[in-house]
Amino acid sequence: MSTHAAQPVAVRTHGVDMFFGDGETKVNALKQADFEANRGELIMLVGPSGCGKTTLLSVIAGTLTPQTGTVEVFGQRLDGLSQEELTTFRRKHLGFVFQSFNLIPTLSVLENVMVPLLIQGASHDVAVAKARAMLEKVGLKGREYGQPNALSGGQQQRVAIARALVHEPSLLICDEPTSALDKDTGAQIMQMVRDLSRSPERCVVVVTHDHRIFRFADRIAEMEDGRIRRVVEDASLLDTNHL
Amino acid sequence: MYRLALNMLFGDRAKLAMLLCGLAFSALLMAQQTSVFFGIMSWTYTPVYNIRAPIWVSDPMVEQANDAKPMRDTDLYRVRSVDGVAWAAPLHTSFLQARMQDGNFKLITMVGIDADTFAGAPAVLSQGHIEDLRLPNTVIVDEWGAQLMGRVTKGADGKEVVIPLKVGDTFEVNDLEARIVGICKVRRAFTGGPFVYTTYDRTKQYTLGARRTLSFMLVEPQAGVDPVKLCARIEADTGLKAWTSDTVIWSWSDRSLARNTFWWFWKNTGIPFSFGTAVALGLFVGIAVSGQTFYSFVLENLKYFAAIKAMGAGMGVIARMLLVQAFTAGLLGFGLGVGMAQAIGRAMIEKGMPPFIMFPQIFWATLALVLGISLVSAIIGIIKVSRVDAATVFRG
Repeated sequence: MSTHAAQPVAVRTHGVDMFFGDGETKVNALKQADFEANRGELIMLVGPSGCGKTTLLSVIAGTLTPQTGTVEVFGQRLDGLSQEELTTFRRKHLGFVFQSFNLIPTLSVLENVMVPLLIQGASHDVAVAKARAMLEKVGLKGREYGQPNALSGGQQQRVAIARALVHEPSLLICDEPTSALDKDTGAQIMQMVRDLSRSPERCVVVVTHDHRIFRFADRIAEMEDGRIRRVVEDASLLDTNHL
Repeated sequence: MYRLALNMLFGDRAKLAMLLCGLAFSALLMAQQTSVFFGIMSWTYTPVYNIRAPIWVSDPMVEQANDAKPMRDTDLYRVRSVDGVAWAAPLHTSFLQARMQDGNFKLITMVGIDADTFAGAPAVLSQGHIEDLRLPNTVIVDEWGAQLMGRVTKGADGKEVVIPLKVGDTFEVNDLEARIVGICKVRRAFTGGPFVYTTYDRTKQYTLGARRTLSFMLVEPQAGVDPVKLCARIEADTGLKAWTSDTVIWSWSDRSLARNTFWWFWKNTGIPFSFGTAVALGLFVGIAVSGQTFYSFVLENLKYFAAIKAMGAGMGVIARMLLVQAFTAGLLGFGLGVGMAQAIGRAMIEKGMPPFIMFPQIFWATLALVLGISLVSAIIGIIKVSRVDAATVFRG
């Protein structure tokens, strides 16, 4: 599972089909989906509900295995990996920001951020030090020992970002990161994602419905009916009415 | 991750309290009922426990220590003549009615001991002297009997007060006076009747001249003679039954009178079944409550476990987290339950009943069962989490 820095492409899917269910209830969620994201890029996946954004994101994240097609992330083919190998890949190379934060309410803010490091096998002391440093970066110094539920939505998403980046993943996956936030907080969060993840060795893929944050994207891939319809650099070229 | 797993467990205090209640109640029920069971069963071989003679000899048809089948007095001489016997003393036991001074009757267990050697006499007297038993019409009563047979009167506050029997008090057995010359400390009998000690010869008076009063013979082997081998020799030479007096009920020795008594009651009474039912109930309640609560804990945390899976934690790590949580709750529940069982047991012992004996085996067996409940709960949780697709974290 090596990465090849010489390749500019960070994520590539080619001819990906994804089906759910059988018989009459069979749903073709992805239809020959081709997608590319480059290193150092923040790319957004947009499109109407049910167009396959989340499914494509899951395929890229290695939590779903497509029936056909190839998936390559930082030079590593995912479509041929076993579940165990996919788990190891996610552990080493992926960071996640979820729509509903998914912060464990019974753990402190610091402990939530430590989770990816501990999964990687870091010692408790190392995990504490790195998690503290990351929380400081996202502006939550002094809130380490509070409970996530005591924080505002924006603060919780900042904790989630700290958790996603604390183990320095190559690929940051963000699923509707601003859907639970107001406009200003959403903008702050996206600015933070952009600032913290800007690196030639990193790629950020954001699934969103929120057109207010399109301006933070380097490119925007518009999906429709299980396919990438088009990729644009200028958000004004999109018809946001049907997104 | 294990520290975080514990913090997840302790962070949800309501669930933890529910889980601990289920496990503690289960441990309490299993440990307390088993300890009371063994306490009650230990009363069955009280005669052997109270009278520490190396060898007991009985009629060959006797099956247990409370089952006295009188022998001829001449059997005593036959036993004394067996090679290897240092001495042999007669022992009488019978259930009689004692008539108190207020006219009330109480069931007693009369024990007749050899007046010359006092073999079989109680080891500890809290009042009086054993030698006074040689005086006419005298008896020694145990502390429980002194209380049970005491005089009931009204105190200054109008409440009933029992004034225990003391040295000098009298009662009647078969119209013959029994004067108390001592109060002794002995373990209580299964039958509930107090022990009243007198001399072997005097029991003939109290039992209205019964033809045969020799219930058991207490035998001391000569120095260097193995009691088990001597038992076999006594049986071969006399045709009587000889028993050893060890009270280890777990032993494999079929010569132990205590062990045979214990297992006789096990096989011939409904006591093990009724207590076994309570213990099984504790186990099922534990599995049901703890399993359900732990499952509910897992369900509530399912999306977090899914997120942890998505972040790259293998099922091995998550399974170990769940096991740590379940076993920690199990150990805490066990500690609470067994602690409560001990506290209840001690409080009951102070009140005299029911008996409570927590063998180390009960402690370890309860621990094993509670951890078994925890394991079942953890496995249910592990199966649930293993079926959760990591991709669900992207579905809101």
